[in-house]
Amino acid sequence: MGEHQSTQLDGVFNALCDPTRRAILARLTDADARVTDIAAGFPISLNSISKHVRMLERAGLLKRSVNGRDHVLSLNAEPLAAASEWIDRYRRFWEGRLAALDAYVTSKQRKRK
Amino acid sequence: MNAAVTHSSAPAAVVVRRTIAASAEDLFDAWLDPQALAIWMRPGAGIRTTEAKVEPRVGGRFEINMHAESGVIPHSGTYRVIDRPRRLVFTWFSPHTGDRDTLVTVDFLPRDQRTEVVVTHEQLPEAKREAHTGGWTGALEKLDAFRGAGS
Repeated sequence: MGEHQSTQLDGVFNALCDPTRRAILARLTDADARVTDIAAGFPISLNSISKHVRMLERAGLLKRSVNGRDHVLSLNAEPLAAASEWIDRYRRFWEGRLAALDAYVTSKQRKRK
Repeated sequence: MNAAVTHSSAPAAVVVRRTIAASAEDLFDAWLDPQALAIWMRPGAGIRTTEAKVEPRVGGRFEINMHAESGVIPHSGTYRVIDRPRRLVFTWFSPHTGDRDTLVTVDFLPRDQRTEVVVTHEQLPEAKREAHTGGWTGALEKLDAFRGAGS
């Protein structure tokens, strides 16, 4: 795994570690939204929401477009695909091993009979 | 909407299950027998051979070297729990874990004449860093949900 990809994954996983940030992402899967719209849906300050948004931006999970005074946020799911792929590798590894374990143990049983 | 994404506090885990027509004892032993491991712990077509060395006791080490065309992929760890034929817990260290220890638990659950083998792989690198913040399983669920969104 390259240095760049690893750094990107660190950012994505750190971003996803927080329930508020996951909720922001979930909100944006429905539709793009302004920072103020998002803040209205949470019981925390606009300032806190802005910090979470900046962290999501740094992880590449959000795109911000500025239209006059409005900052509109949209979801960028691309880095999630890399994170998902990373996790899938472990899943595929163990699925493959259990299939091989199955083949090994059941063939051994047949020989025993 | 917050409730849907804040419920979980479990640490990171990949869980894989398979029900196999064999006894829990036979399956359990295949995890600790180096000759058995050399046969079945051989991922992918690119792996030519696997060598395994095990010290099957709590605190004992294992080494599993998978020979790929590109070179040897070393895996190693320490046994934490050996509870035949129910549960095996060991650390798991490889180039694919970011050169950090992760934790693998294998449970062997009787299912009539068969046995369900459940592999739980935890403490994957990024999870370890912020495990105290929890929410990791939720993050994985979200990942699954998002997967379609980017493509």
